Amino acid sequence: MFRRILAILAGRLVAFLCRCLKKGGTSLPGFLALKLDPDLMKGLIAGYRQVIIVTGTNGKTTTTNLLASILRAAGLSVVTNSEGANMPAGVATALLGQRGEVAVLEVDEGTLALVTSQVQADIVVITNLLRDQLDRYHELQQLAGAIQKALVHTPEAALVLNADDSLVTSLGDGWGIVRYFGLARTPWSQESTREVLEGHICPHCHQPLEFNFYHYSHLGDYFCPRCSYRRPRAEYEGRGLQLKPGGTHFNLVYPGGALVLHTPMPGIYNVYNILAAAGTALYLGVEPATIVRVVASFLPGQGRAETFYLRDRHITLMLVKNPTGLGVALRTLATGRQKTAFLLAINDLAADGRDVSWLWDADLTPLLAAPRSPIICAGLRAGDMAICLKYQGIKEADLEVIPDPAASIDRLLAEPVQEALILCTYTNLAVYRRLLLQRGARSEVTSGTSLPGVS
Amino acid sequence: MKLHLGHLYPEFLNLYGDRGNVLILCRRAQWRGIQVEVTPISLGDKLAPGAYDLLFLGGGPDQEQGIASADLFAKGPWLKEAVEEGTALLAICGGYQLLGEYYRTASGDTLPGVGLFAAYTEAGNKRLKGNIAIQVPELGSEHPIIGFENHGGRTFLKGARPLGQVIYGDGNNGADGTEGARYRNAIGTYLHGPLLSKNPHLADYLLRLALRRRYGEVELSPLDDTLEMATNAAVYKRFLPARGKW
Repeated sequence: MFRRILAILAGRLVAFLCRCLKKGGTSLPGFLALKLDPDLMKGLIAGYRQVIIVTGTNGKTTTTNLLASILRAAGLSVVTNSEGANMPAGVATALLGQRGEVAVLEVDEGTLALVTSQVQADIVVITNLLRDQLDRYHELQQLAGAIQKALVHTPEAALVLNADDSLVTSLGDGWGIVRYFGLARTPWSQESTREVLEGHICPHCHQPLEFNFYHYSHLGDYFCPRCSYRRPRAEYEGRGLQLKPGGTHFNLVYPGGALVLHTPMPGIYNVYNILAAAGTALYLGVEPATIVRVVASFLPGQGRAETFYLRDRHITLMLVKNPTGLGVALRTLATGRQKTAFLLAINDLAADGRDVSWLWDADLTPLLAAPRSPIICAGLRAGDMAICLKYQGIKEADLEVIPDPAASIDRLLAEPVQEALILCTYTNLAVYRRLLLQRGARSEVTSGTSLPGVS
Repeated sequence: MKLHLGHLYPEFLNLYGDRGNVLILCRRAQWRGIQVEVTPISLGDKLAPGAYDLLFLGGGPDQEQGIASADLFAKGPWLKEAVEEGTALLAICGGYQLLGEYYRTASGDTLPGVGLFAAYTEAGNKRLKGNIAIQVPELGSEHPIIGFENHGGRTFLKGARPLGQVIYGDGNNGADGTEGARYRNAIGTYLHGPLLSKNPHLADYLLRLALRRRYGEVELSPLDDTLEMATNAAVYKRFLPARGKW
């Protein structure tokens, strides 16, 4: 007991110091406190009315933040790790802050068991399982297996799962309470795919699944031609999708009604994030009007398609960390725009994934057709990015390799265009954000505090 | 001039950028006015041994690789005949292992391979992963071959000659300094993903091997590889240990 009190006090002291020094501090307090008391989270989580874990490959941060915003608007006090610090240290840091009634915790899909072994969740939301950094998460099938084992620690939890992802739905087989969210066929659905697929094998017959359509990657309407395995009916289903330059409209049909939703967030991937968060909120009994209101004004967090304004320029900063993310980002942000300057900043540090082979699995074709000035390749793997684009069909004269972040951003800003798009891997995100702010750019996202938010 | 390229199991053996190699081979041939026809070869396809100049076999996730390997085993005699007749072949990671004599799993089961390379693979504990550089003397280039490896299996050569010698990284097994295997115009290697992207000298070597069967020795016109070789040199230097492992 003494150990735990010591750990909590030490963690809070470090969090206070981080705040005074204005230094990040989204993980350090939890990291130190967990060193002092490895079972710390078990104690800190007691007393919450609801504990919701959000995990999966892409969309965790946006889903977590949106869900937290909806629950706050519904009058609950919510604790969350709002800045994507999703390793156990980040989760512990969030819980060390002020307490609340509900905890919405973003948890890294590769270390889920470390959290569920201490934290009994009421709901586990799984966004999707897409091919990610192979050297960190290994193959998707192995990752799904690890998540399945992690879920065993929290047997009472209701699962909120992506119906369009066969790897995710296989986790619901035989589970107690399962709710699915999914997206009906859209005008953008494709009968075949150019993308490299994983997660297209029937979990029962171990033979390839067939698809009526794909949304992107292996997300879509699948069925096994040999057994009865198929996409489950989604209790929370998006229908009538319209993607427009000013935002996205769709209906969320659920048992008992339908919501007409509008969001300023671009892209089909954000429709999934909204379906996950809104579906979970409906499951928890939140008033539909509250959900509609929050979705209409919610903007994603720092570096999640964050828009900056600098003089007459409009600069979008976007995190890309795997082939699906990069492909979907380009499909969303590089099509139908005016002439745009592109910067791709690729690093290979531990948090990025050491292996950048994944660049070759991304569908880069939107970049071929986009009206653009030269494409600037930056970061430790600037050359790898440039070679990949060269063989995809971008003329070498249209490629510039400038590894240094500051030099690359100054080159980008020297382009006489009003639109710029910066796509970068994890460790570049904070660097480019800082460089933009130093150059006087203004973010549309109000800078969040470095501490876990409570309201 | 036309190059016939057979891509084996593209829908199953596609782990981590492997397909980039097919794109690179196509582009480097097309930039020289050589036509390329890429044919996907998959489950149950019957094949004439003389049909292809170059075959590509990538690696896959366990489950997908299991599906492909059963079929590949059935195609084994055809594949060996093709290589005997001079077809060039590039097999990467899992694909390389499948072409050895056998794979011994952690539980001691022996899974037979195609037996193209006189080599076998044993399951290991720790995955061997990281940046790797190897020396391949017969390329006649001062530049190393560089890439990334990520494999649990340890491959041991039983008479097959290696593709190259490890400069840094683990290679076949992390112990004997060899990397990959050769048999006639076939190459197996653990350098995974878009191996040819930073190694245009290896890509052109493969193209020459592939064209030889139909057209004899072909002189490939030079391409501007400044970007590729500058990246090769930068990545090579960045991961070069202060004191080399070998």
